[in-house]
Amino acid sequence: MKKSIAIVEDERAIRDNYAAAFAREGYAVRGYPNRREAMTAFAARLPDLAVIDISLEDEPEGGFELCRELRGMSAELPIIFLTARDSELDAVSGLRLGADDFLTKDLSLAHLIARVNALFRRVDALRRPPEEKQVIRRGALTLDSERMSVLWNNEVVLLSLTEFWIVYALTKHPGHVKNRQQLMDAANVVLDDNTITSHIKRIRRKFQVVDEKFDAVHTVYGMGYRWVE
Amino acid sequence: MARFLELLKTGPISGFRLRTKLLLLALTTLALPWAGCQYAREMETVLRESEQQSLLAVTTTIAGSLKGRKELLFRADSLPGNGGERDITPMVLTGAPLIDGRADDWDSDARSLVRAVGPGGDSLRLLAATHERWLYLALLVHDNRWIFDASDLNSLDPGTLGDRVWLAFDDKRGGQQRLFFGSTGPGPVRARRIETLEYGRETAVEEPRIEGVWQRSPDGWVLEIGVPLSMIGQHLGVLIDDRDRRGAPRASYGTLEASDLRATGRLVAASPDLNDHLRQFAQPGVELRVASASGALLTRLDAPALPGDYTKLRGFLPRMYRLFFDGSIIPRSVSQAERERAAQELTARAARGKAATTLVAGRYENSVIVAAAAPIFSADGKQILGVIQLAQTADRWLTLRDRALTRLLNLTLFVTLFAVGAAFWFAGRMTLRISRLGAAAETALGREGNLARNLPETESRDELGDLSRSFSSLLGRLDEYTGYLRTLAGKLAHEIRTPLTIIRSSLENLESEAQASGGMGQAPGGLGENAKVYIARAREGSERLGAILAAMGAATRVEEAITHSDRQRFDLAALVRATVDAYGGAFPNRRFACVVPPEAVELNGAPDLIVQMLDKLVDNAVDFSADGATISITLQADAAQAEISVANPGPPLPAEASTRLFESLWQSRAEPDKRPHFGLGLYIVRLIAEFHGGTAQAANLPDNSGAVFSVRLAR
Repeated sequence: MKKSIAIVEDERAIRDNYAAAFAREGYAVRGYPNRREAMTAFAARLPDLAVIDISLEDEPEGGFELCRELRGMSAELPIIFLTARDSELDAVSGLRLGADDFLTKDLSLAHLIARVNALFRRVDALRRPPEEKQVIRRGALTLDSERMSVLWNNEVVLLSLTEFWIVYALTKHPGHVKNRQQLMDAANVVLDDNTITSHIKRIRRKFQVVDEKFDAVHTVYGMGYRWVE
Repeated sequence: MARFLELLKTGPISGFRLRTKLLLLALTTLALPWAGCQYAREMETVLRESEQQSLLAVTTTIAGSLKGRKELLFRADSLPGNGGERDITPMVLTGAPLIDGRADDWDSDARSLVRAVGPGGDSLRLLAATHERWLYLALLVHDNRWIFDASDLNSLDPGTLGDRVWLAFDDKRGGQQRLFFGSTGPGPVRARRIETLEYGRETAVEEPRIEGVWQRSPDGWVLEIGVPLSMIGQHLGVLIDDRDRRGAPRASYGTLEASDLRATGRLVAASPDLNDHLRQFAQPGVELRVASASGALLTRLDAPALPGDYTKLRGFLPRMYRLFFDGSIIPRSVSQAERERAAQELTARAARGKAATTLVAGRYENSVIVAAAAPIFSADGKQILGVIQLAQTADRWLTLRDRALTRLLNLTLFVTLFAVGAAFWFAGRMTLRISRLGAAAETALGREGNLARNLPETESRDELGDLSRSFSSLLGRLDEYTGYLRTLAGKLAHEIRTPLTIIRSSLENLESEAQASGGMGQAPGGLGENAKVYIARAREGSERLGAILAAMGAATRVEEAITHSDRQRFDLAALVRATVDAYGGAFPNRRFACVVPPEAVELNGAPDLIVQMLDKLVDNAVDFSADGATISITLQADAAQAEISVANPGPPLPAEASTRLFESLWQSRAEPDKRPHFGLGLYIVRLIAEFHGGTAQAANLPDNSGAVFSVRLAR
């Protein structure tokens, strides 16, 4: 059966373009211009994945509200935020609404589809028993590349998809400096330096939530970052 | 008026500070004392003229009372001036001469001098003077030989006689008095008269009322005589019996008839009653003189003392005032002789028939004598008998004027000082306020943020307050405007992003569709080669647009990043070293020289932001330097702050750049290059420097071979 994707986006042209791209990939797509219509549809049937714009018609932060309600209905449903403003990334991360990823609209359709595919893969992986070969262990870190989950001292660190890919890229070759471009490629995003910096900052903060002494991500000024065990 | 204003703007005082100008303005109050002086002078002129007029009136009145009263004026029954050469016109002395046989205390007045020439080159000069009730005579005799009497006892024996002097006058009863002086040696002598006793015997009787002293002089001898005026009638004369040896025949010469010793020369002098008559007109401070029509002084009544204190004011200020404001109207002090001459001139003017008045300088500096003279006419009014002259010191009104002037000047000086002080204070306060406002306005323009709120003076209700409020609202608007401009880029970037996303996703869809249909063979939806080129171009265009948007939003992102930044302690030296190492790879066409102290430079800040700041500075240095140029990055630090400088060879900064370089949306690129620039790079540098409690500055290298940008950070 086709996987269904819901796109909640008030800009019709973007919504239709995204829908067309997802449809081409073989997904069943439904689009909603606002929170009310989306919730009505979600109440009848939940989609397999939701792509939500933050500002919806008359609600500047309607996407957040929608995300919260959706997460209340399903804990596993993958949710991707789309934002027009870079600054909203910080707001999203701060709210910790349980979204699986947040992306700017600069992102190309190919990258977007890659993410969607990745998230579906993760959902599938979570349903299967964990496979040891997919797991990377680096000291206190346990990283499951299939399920895209991260444990630190056996505690779950809730990373978004982008953050997970950055951590994955860093930990694959610990001690090696990854520059910003390499990190961006790994995360399938096109971001400016600031955004990478704030992603790194958020990753550190999320690890520090479970371990105050966390200090494994080092900045190499002028070069990039590296994972230190 | 317009020219005056123009002069104020461009003239010599236009360069002065406000305070100096106001001070000069305050000095114009010095015109007050000047005006006061003019007024005082006017007053003085009026006073003086009225004084002169009243004195003239008094003079004319006295002259009227003497009209036709010849007998009161003169002893002689005939008028003076038309008499013979034997007339004696005594001068009027102010003090009695000492009768000592020396003539050196006499003024030699031509009018009172009578000459007589004797035989053998001998001569007589006769001086006459009156003082009070005495007539004084001085006989200056040139005589080659002075012969004394042999004895006092037989002074009538012709054989014993030496030189002898006869004095003869008619007395009031009409009789003739003949007296002689003879002496056995120099010294006091008595006048003697010859009286005939019974049997015709003659004897010499001393006249005790007449004094005399006989002395030798270098060329002869001098006989000085004092005779009471009451004894003398209208005629007077002297005769000298000159002998070459004792008992020799006499050689007589003088003003007497040698034959009968009768006096024919008249005594031209005031009648004894004149003084009594004049005394009734005497006033304090007024001197009276009566002169004959020929100018010979008949009598003088000295001024009784002036009541009250009219002496000159003393002290420094009055002296200064007099120095500055007494002009030419007050003559300087003159000698006694000059005053006499002036009095004689006035008399001469009156003697021509018309009353006259004049000002004469007094004995002391700045003292003035007002004099008036009027002719005394004969009864029929056709002849001028004499002249009466009144003189009065003007010290009284001069002193009054001085006092008024001094008081006025003291007052105006005080007022001026006060005005100058007030003007100085006011100007100082005004200047302070204006410069404070100016400084505030300048700094308000220099920085971003809340410009309008901190201006001083906005509470004041005067024009400065208005100015300040105008400034405030102007700066407020400017603030809004720059704020709008600053956020415009970010807003635009955001607004353009949505349509850009539409274009981009549409292009991607188009490509994907083409690939999908192309893959299934020549379906109608497939794209030709040309269409692919166009799509590629459209993608390229949209990517460039995306880059532009990213650049436009950069400042906004940095501002947001700053608000979310956490400070931490880190080693700035290591950071700079590592970062500069990395630039070598990023810019292979430039060389980088890095001067960093070997020890750690601890800084409390956000290392990410510092790196970003360095990136911007190095970007800037790379942009403005040629390939192969060396960009030097220097870190210096002291206890309080650290300074990072990035210097590059290249064109010097434009003149206006040094203050504006670090402002938002400012750029001085001469040639646009391919990368989008919004003048935000150095603005970001400044934002980050300010976040670290520091400043950013730009300057040219000392030899103008390039520019150096430096950032100071508080440690």
